[in-house]
Amino acid sequence: MDITGKIREIAARLLQNGEVDLFMAWEKGDLPFQSKPFFARRVEDVERIIFDEYSIHNLSNALLKFRDRQEKIGLVVKGCDSRGVVRLLEDGQIERDRLYIVGVCCPGMKDPLQAMRDYSGFNRNPEAAPLAAKCENCIQPNPVIYDELLGEEQPPRVQGERFARVRELEQLSPDERYRFFEDILSRCIRCYACRQACVACNCRTCIFDETKPQWVGRETSISDNMMYHLVRASHMAGRCIECGECERVCPVNIPLMLINQKLIKDVDNFFGPYEAGMQYVEGAKPPLSVYQENDPDDFI
Amino acid sequence: MHNCNCENPLVPQIVEIVKIIDETPDVKTFHVRNENGVPFDVKPGQLAMVSLLPVGEGMFSVSWQEEKEHLQFAIRRVGLMTDELHSVGVGHKIGVRGPYGNGFPVEACQGKDMLFIAGGIGLAPLRSFIKYCLKHRSDYGKIQVLYGARSYADICFKDELFELWPKEKDTEVFTTLDRPEEGWNGHVGLIPSYLEELNPAPEGKVAVICGPPIMIKFALKSLEKMGYNDEQVITTLEMRMKCGIGKCGRCNIGSEYICLDGPVFNLAQLRKLPPEW
Amino acid sequence: MKVLNKNKLPAVFDKLAQQSELFVPLQKKEQSGFYSWKSFDQASDQLALDLLNVYLPPKQVLLPQTEKMYSFRQEEGGVAISEVYEESQARVIFGIRACDLQAINCLDQAFLTRGFVDEFYKARRDNTTIVASACYKPGANCFCSSMGVNPLEPAGADAIIRDTGTEYFIWEARTPAGEELSRQLAEFLEEKELPLPQSQAFERQVDMEGVAEKLSQVFSSPLWEELSDACQTCGICTYLCPSCYCFDIQVKNQGEAGYRFRCWDSCMYGEYTMMAGGHNPRASATERFRNRFLHKLEFFSERYGMPLCTGCGRCIIACPAGIDISKIITAAKEANWSA
Repeated sequence: MDITGKIREIAARLLQNGEVDLFMAWEKGDLPFQSKPFFARRVEDVERIIFDEYSIHNLSNALLKFRDRQEKIGLVVKGCDSRGVVRLLEDGQIERDRLYIVGVCCPGMKDPLQAMRDYSGFNRNPEAAPLAAKCENCIQPNPVIYDELLGEEQPPRVQGERFARVRELEQLSPDERYRFFEDILSRCIRCYACRQACVACNCRTCIFDETKPQWVGRETSISDNMMYHLVRASHMAGRCIECGECERVCPVNIPLMLINQKLIKDVDNFFGPYEAGMQYVEGAKPPLSVYQENDPDDFI
Repeated sequence: MHNCNCENPLVPQIVEIVKIIDETPDVKTFHVRNENGVPFDVKPGQLAMVSLLPVGEGMFSVSWQEEKEHLQFAIRRVGLMTDELHSVGVGHKIGVRGPYGNGFPVEACQGKDMLFIAGGIGLAPLRSFIKYCLKHRSDYGKIQVLYGARSYADICFKDELFELWPKEKDTEVFTTLDRPEEGWNGHVGLIPSYLEELNPAPEGKVAVICGPPIMIKFALKSLEKMGYNDEQVITTLEMRMKCGIGKCGRCNIGSEYICLDGPVFNLAQLRKLPPEW
Repeated sequence: MKVLNKNKLPAVFDKLAQQSELFVPLQKKEQSGFYSWKSFDQASDQLALDLLNVYLPPKQVLLPQTEKMYSFRQEEGGVAISEVYEESQARVIFGIRACDLQAINCLDQAFLTRGFVDEFYKARRDNTTIVASACYKPGANCFCSSMGVNPLEPAGADAIIRDTGTEYFIWEARTPAGEELSRQLAEFLEEKELPLPQSQAFERQVDMEGVAEKLSQVFSSPLWEELSDACQTCGICTYLCPSCYCFDIQVKNQGEAGYRFRCWDSCMYGEYTMMAGGHNPRASATERFRNRFLHKLEFFSERYGMPLCTGCGRCIIACPAGIDISKIITAAKEANWSA
């Protein structure tokens, strides 16, 4: 049976015998490239569930909507999504026993947002590529936490050096680097979609919503924009699970993962070896959430 | 129509704080005026945006306009701006802009008996209406004020509640505390239950309510039980406000903006709006 | 008829930019929107008049993402206002589509009517001349015709350009301000008879009849929860929408001086209606989702007589969760709201 069939079977079983109140997966939209999140609540809903090459949306982020509620939730996760679940468990945002995790080894996804933009008439040059940009750098296509696993194990997809682009930027002079980031961050419209799409952004009151004091102003000046992205990235250091949703959803195409990857590389280098969300160990914390006396400090 | 004296309704006028009264540990009344007196005229129940320019703005009901002399605001310390406001002294200059909102229907209520029901800081907006009725005493019938607070220390306008208003003609004041307290010989209990206990008759009466949303909701239920119809009950609501002129979008309940079409609504109007406050 | 050769556009823009700030649709690297012609960089930018539309909507010209309102100075014992920034210099928006122009008509209703006039918006709006571009090839996500918009006759335009598919635009002035532009551009306009292009059909259509009425009856329906399931309240829809106008007012301090400014805000954010005491009437994503669609399709109609959605399709393109406002419109009449 294909993966869609297997997922439907599992969902139907879980909903039928009340093991879950809600099952999160994807359904098809009107167009072939439209796959979008879908929450099945009744056994009749199960026939809408699909899993295809456009099932890119990270469903672990949707768990945050239910963190204060009681529902038992089943969800389908790919490699990166499952690291998102570990992120939530480590951050104490949801209890493991509320979840039934169906893992699917991910063959790499295409981006429905890219495909939709090409289809829309707003794009002069087509964007859509054989694989979504975020999947090109994938180091973990296979789920790291699950109650059931589907699909064949996949090799990591990253070709060549994982941090090649980061190293390129590191070679630039400070002035050149500043100009590069000034260029890409000046177009930020402060829609905060990156924050909303991010599973690691799970603070109840986000630092950018605090008023006493207000840490970063809301103007779209280059200084406020830079502060926003730098502060957010710093909060991700050691916690970002590289699902790439922030960059994928950005309406003005800012290459956000570049900043996150720099921090992933640095955290691994200084506090590692460490990759966030690779396994769930109860009580484990990201490296920057714990102070060790022998933490490196020669860069201070 | 609304009469805003500033040419640009989003730009405040500068006024001076001429008096500060400590009402409770977290409520202060500020009297403000510019060199000519009041920056603008205010009808009972209208609002103004008080601006501590380097910090922020907040929308408050004007709890009384003293002739052409000054405006009074009773402000609770609860957020960033009010925190700072509570730390400034007499003589400090702040911004105000307004007046905003529809105000109470003071003319339509003439000849009626008035029942004012207020909880906590909710007395501040009603105070302007109560004082208006007392100022034009012969235009109104019997006046009853039912006021509840968490504790004795939290009672606002103690002077008026305990000394001045009970002495007015045909005016009664009933006060209750949420919980028993040493030294308090008055009523103990929540407002809705005290209201039902007192059971003021609905005939010829207008009930005006203000307080925390949960208190308003229960008080409305009690009044319904006691036979008040929707047109007899008025409330004044609160939402987060930024522009104060019905443009920024956030203070809506359905298609009505609390800063512009409200904050005063009668129950008939409120029932037509989505229950989202 | 008067026609304008597309090859002359840079010269036309240079001329217009002498007397006003001119905004044209540009592709700037990965981003497209309405930008000042002065910011055009030959090396990296492209004119986007030939595209269906641009991602960032032209509301930016009248309601900027960040707009300084007034500056103040701290003084002995208080504060004084130093300057109020009402930007009333002449502006021209060139090449706006009917959907985006109708959105501006909606903004005019919101900012210029009812009790108060927003003077900052008025200063910009009163001095803005609009040249609209008639649209003959609706995109897959376009449904402006269902929302009361005529893509061939953009309502509110001072002048209209029509792309004939050749190297010429047809130029039609519609108002005295448009005639004034015709005079300014006289040296570039030629007399020629050219056939109008064929307009194509809309793939996407919805029936707005009775939608506002129906939505007013289903506020408490449990269906809102399901409709909002996938929504992450990311706010992209509100930022790309040409008619969303909610704004925040904030302050920037620089030592003894500072200024108050306003910036775009979104009803989708958690703290949009959060009150200082902690009470939040719309604490859940479902409540905010419902409020947004009711505002777009019911509340704005009730208040101003027109829906706040003009069928431009941007939110449908950019929503990561696949939420589709045209489907919500259809659901208004066809779905089972008591389920």
